[in-house]
Amino acid sequence: MHPDVADAIPRLVAAGILPPERAPLLLRVARRELVSVHWELRALLYAGVLLLTGGVGLLVKENLDRIGPVAIAVGLGLAAAAALAWVVRAAPPFTWGEAPSPNLAFDYMLLLAVLLFAAELAYVEVQFTPLDADWGWHLLIVAAVAALAAFRFDSRVVFSLALSTFAAWRGVAVARLGAVVWGREDLVRWNAIGCGVLFAGLGLVLVRTGRKAHFEPVAVHLGWLLILGGMASGLGRDSWMGWTCALLVTGTALAAGAFQFRRFPLFAFGVLAGYAALSQLVLEIDHAELVGCFWFFASASLLLLLLIVAQRRMKEPL
Amino acid sequence: MKADAVEADRREAVRRAARSWRQAGAIDEATEAAIAAAYPDDRARVGPVFRVLLFVFTLVAVNGAFGFGMLLVDGFRGSGRTFAVLAFVYGLLLAVLTEWQIGSGRRCQGGTEAATSFAALGSVLGATAWIVFEGMDLRDAPALAVLFLTAALLLAGAAWRWGYPLYAGAAAAALLGALGTLPGGRILWIVLPALAAPFLARWADAARLPPAHRASWAAVLVVALTGLYVAVHLGSFDSSLIEELSDLNTLRGMPRNELLRWLSAAAMAIVPLVYLGIGIRTRRYPFLLVGLGTAVASLVTLRFYVHLAPLWVVLAASGAALILLVLALRRYLDSGADKERGGFTAEPLFEDAARRRLLEAGAAVVSLSPEARDLREEPRFTGGGGEFGGGGASSDF
Repeated sequence: MHPDVADAIPRLVAAGILPPERAPLLLRVARRELVSVHWELRALLYAGVLLLTGGVGLLVKENLDRIGPVAIAVGLGLAAAAALAWVVRAAPPFTWGEAPSPNLAFDYMLLLAVLLFAAELAYVEVQFTPLDADWGWHLLIVAAVAALAAFRFDSRVVFSLALSTFAAWRGVAVARLGAVVWGREDLVRWNAIGCGVLFAGLGLVLVRTGRKAHFEPVAVHLGWLLILGGMASGLGRDSWMGWTCALLVTGTALAAGAFQFRRFPLFAFGVLAGYAALSQLVLEIDHAELVGCFWFFASASLLLLLLIVAQRRMKEPL
Repeated sequence: MKADAVEADRREAVRRAARSWRQAGAIDEATEAAIAAAYPDDRARVGPVFRVLLFVFTLVAVNGAFGFGMLLVDGFRGSGRTFAVLAFVYGLLLAVLTEWQIGSGRRCQGGTEAATSFAALGSVLGATAWIVFEGMDLRDAPALAVLFLTAALLLAGAAWRWGYPLYAGAAAAALLGALGTLPGGRILWIVLPALAAPFLARWADAARLPPAHRASWAAVLVVALTGLYVAVHLGSFDSSLIEELSDLNTLRGMPRNELLRWLSAAAMAIVPLVYLGIGIRTRRYPFLLVGLGTAVASLVTLRFYVHLAPLWVVLAASGAALILLVLALRRYLDSGADKERGGFTAEPLFEDAARRRLLEAGAAVVSLSPEARDLREEPRFTGGGGEFGGGGASSDF
């Protein structure tokens, strides 16, 4: 119930601000005579997909001997194909622009199809080992299929899955390689940063070419999180000084760029990363508690002033 | 809340509704601007990202200042008494600072005033904890009771004065904690929420209250309904979850017998249905939300106690059933006149922004993925504004 809104609507109509034909529906909603459960249904659908895929995962793990590998592989394949067939039948024509979802279940059925396909592939790999020692490549295949599905059916949820699966593939590949060639941690860190740069670059390309430009925030946010997270993971290591300076410079540059282009989440990433790096530098130079407390008080106070000035210039919408 | 803050809160509710109408395409930008001009804002507000940044760095600054002051006064001796006195005084200072920001400074949804209020409560409660556990050397249960009661009073006062629904919900939880330390605490957890629920539901809709206070009563209602469910829950009965609070002082709670256990099992099944029934009949969101959550909790508990089938069957079957249920429900609602049935619709209407973000955040946390797309249909609306926010209050806090 929104009594203030219900009270305001007739006044707005009387003042000629609100079109009279809109008022009845607005009033019904403000008086709670009409309630939408749209978002609740979407949340439940998503929970249903997660439960179903979780159950399938356990089925594969626990019933291998009883059901038999071929039956499981065929069953999973059929389930994935059925979900995909439903999606294909309901899908709107392809467009490089943004396409509205044809119905409530569309994105979630597509997600279900991709997750079932991934489970199928993982099962076949474990059971029949077609890729043998190079099993990590199946993650790349899943990432590629998810990316194709995301572009074809215009799903940011599945696009996000494609990017994270690609990053997981790099992580697995490097972890296997790193044991032989170089420090494993450093390699994983560099790969995270590399993936981040790739994703951020991909976001730029999407915008520049005007093709699926609305996917850009997914790629850029994930990319910068990987870059900053990769650098931050080096703070507690022997080579902390280099990583700290890198994080400080990168975070500051990101905040400055995001300020210029009014990218609010990226601005927050940059500010937090830069502040963490600067604090690390100060605290490493002097370990005294008194200095630490004074640093946090003084630096955060100064930053608050800067943030208030920045907020007035950027004018973030409420 | 002061009269000017109440007025600002009411106006913000209307502007927020206008924003949701415009986002759904029901009105154009010019109309939204005209509504904003008719209900002008005299508060200093910031957007969600800056709100979080300002909140975080205010907390860093005030905690750094407290640590610095503590080290200057106490050196490195770590005296509890000094800590308690300083924390208490510092908490009062921060409360004054919060009052000044919300009052003269006219800050609202600005991050800094929420952070100082939060730190003020934390400091005073920290001092209280030292006093009851160390200073007065009370036994565990009485000390907990005093601490919970103090927290309930402070949080309720902060919610009432500054208009934060989150504090109201926390105050209700603290009050339940205090009741739990009494003999027969479980009975109180059942009786009091059951008696209070009709009043809480009414106050959550009361037009004479500002939106922030209505949202506060709604938050108290959610906590009360959850507390009642916890009290009748079979797992909580078997594990003596509530009695644990009084057990610290050897005060026993309810006598335990099989009849009560069966009653608990039955109530665990019935309570979610009652909540859902009330929610569907009255279209009150707190009842629907808690009803849904407790229904899921009861089903999970059932699986824990009764081995119906292997876990994979339960997961896969419940997932498939959930998907089919949602699709059937959608079809049922769509088949009604104007795609409505009983005052409910599955159409993507104008949603209360806080409610929508809550659901999206839940899904995003689980999946680390963005939300699904909007639908092709022309959106209609559910009234924006007013529920969890305003007057320094926001569920985004």
